[in-house]
Amino acid sequence: MSNLNDKYTENSLVTKGDMRRTFWRSFALQGCFNYERMQNVGFCYSMLPVIKRLYKTPEEISAALKRHLSFFNTTPQVVSFITGACIALEEKNKKSEGGFDTSSITALKAALMGPIAGIGDSFFWGTFRIIAAGIGCGLASQGSILGAVLFLLIFNVPHYLARYYGLKLGYKSGIGFIESVQASGVIELSTNAAKIMGLCVVGAMIASMVTLSTPLVLTMGQTTVEVQGIFDQILPGILPLGLTFGIYELLKKGFKTTTIMFGIILIGIVAAFFGVL
Amino acid sequence: MLGKALILGILAGFAIWDGRIFGQHMFERPIVLGPLVGLILGDIHTGIVMGASLELVMMGVVGIGAATPPDVVTGGILATAFAIMSGLEIDAAVALSLPIATLAQSVGILDRTINATFLHWADKAADKSDCKGISKAFWSGAWLFWFSSFIVVFLGVLLGSSTISAFVDALPVFILSGLKVASGMLPALGIAILMQLIFDRTNAAYLFIGFVLTALLDMSTVGVAIVGGTIAYIIYQQAVKNKKENFSTPSLSDDLGGEL
Repeated sequence: MSNLNDKYTENSLVTKGDMRRTFWRSFALQGCFNYERMQNVGFCYSMLPVIKRLYKTPEEISAALKRHLSFFNTTPQVVSFITGACIALEEKNKKSEGGFDTSSITALKAALMGPIAGIGDSFFWGTFRIIAAGIGCGLASQGSILGAVLFLLIFNVPHYLARYYGLKLGYKSGIGFIESVQASGVIELSTNAAKIMGLCVVGAMIASMVTLSTPLVLTMGQTTVEVQGIFDQILPGILPLGLTFGIYELLKKGFKTTTIMFGIILIGIVAAFFGVL
Repeated sequence: MLGKALILGILAGFAIWDGRIFGQHMFERPIVLGPLVGLILGDIHTGIVMGASLELVMMGVVGIGAATPPDVVTGGILATAFAIMSGLEIDAAVALSLPIATLAQSVGILDRTINATFLHWADKAADKSDCKGISKAFWSGAWLFWFSSFIVVFLGVLLGSSTISAFVDALPVFILSGLKVASGMLPALGIAILMQLIFDRTNAAYLFIGFVLTALLDMSTVGVAIVGGTIAYIIYQQAVKNKKENFSTPSLSDDLGGEL
């Protein structure tokens, strides 16, 4: 075991222990989420160990606390990259003894939270969670506890990797890293690749997890025709597919989710009353 | 009953903390809470199955950006508890979960509004360079989240489980079968909300690949995830290669060559 009081890297002012405490505190980002400045109190809370290590005078501490109470909102799973970059800049400020423009720290946070949230949302909410839920629900609907276990594993292995290495990477290369990957286009390419995998699973989920069929039977003279049979001949699952795209279009037109939700419940009841669904 | 309501309330408190204090491990999702509620109430099988159905319905309910989503924690726990304690049919309980979550959403909005007060405590603490004051403000907000979820679920279980079953018993049959139909359709809403996040004209084809593999070939989600991952890998490799080629020979694109 390395000593927690050792410096984090050779030139660091913060210790290994400070970085570890910051890592764990980064989980608590949304603890005091508010409409005025969103995740700001949680972010400031995660910076406390570093602020206490670096600054000793009340003026310095007060200024640092205020810096990190500014508006902040990003994807929780990937926040530690920004935290790491902020730690590096706070150290720079301390080392420069007043020669550093601290407004650049606020500017860095404002500049990073959007792109980082964009990457985080499409990977964690748009991809890992969908794949985890698709696989998890498949197992759980058959009554297997493995569903919940796999769901958590598929989501959290990348989550911990992103949080742990995000803090390191943010500290060591900070904004330079984001600039270089943005210039190389790797982020965009891998985001696209992640979306492809997510979309395949979404397609599978429409087919297997949306259930909509009609019991309608048409009688024409002596022959009876099951309406669902016709649909199945065209394409199995065509009703769930149509329903999903119909709702997607409604959402795009700006209908509220609650309106659509109560609409679905109402349609279900009316259709069941008349026996069409 | 009081004991069960208490334990479920405490579960709700810690589940809401998943997204607040524990960094969103997705413990807050119904697929995880369902089995836990089942374990507490002694019917783990119903809990697991309810969790799966609820997860599908609430799949699109996500807290991205500034908007406060319907409360999946309260909706998930109460609907599962009602299914087990009141003998409510799974489909009816699933359809009920969304109105419950939407009602509980207003509590979440209230929390986030009240939290602005704690933010102003934090501002004052920063003025006085008082680090402990920041922690105090932070934990006040965190405990507000904890207690409001605790109370809603505690009261919901205590008052709801008997009233719900009496209420459902009084309902005509077609309403129950209507809720069943609705609960089959509701996952489409969740999926459509997801699609807003990742779906557009340029990548629509991949959704249809996944759909056809399952609808026509009955492939499992795991299988489709593997196929999707393979396609994604190929596309990624190709894109990286193209990028490199374009980068090294930038003039080729406007070369008219032998066409003239």
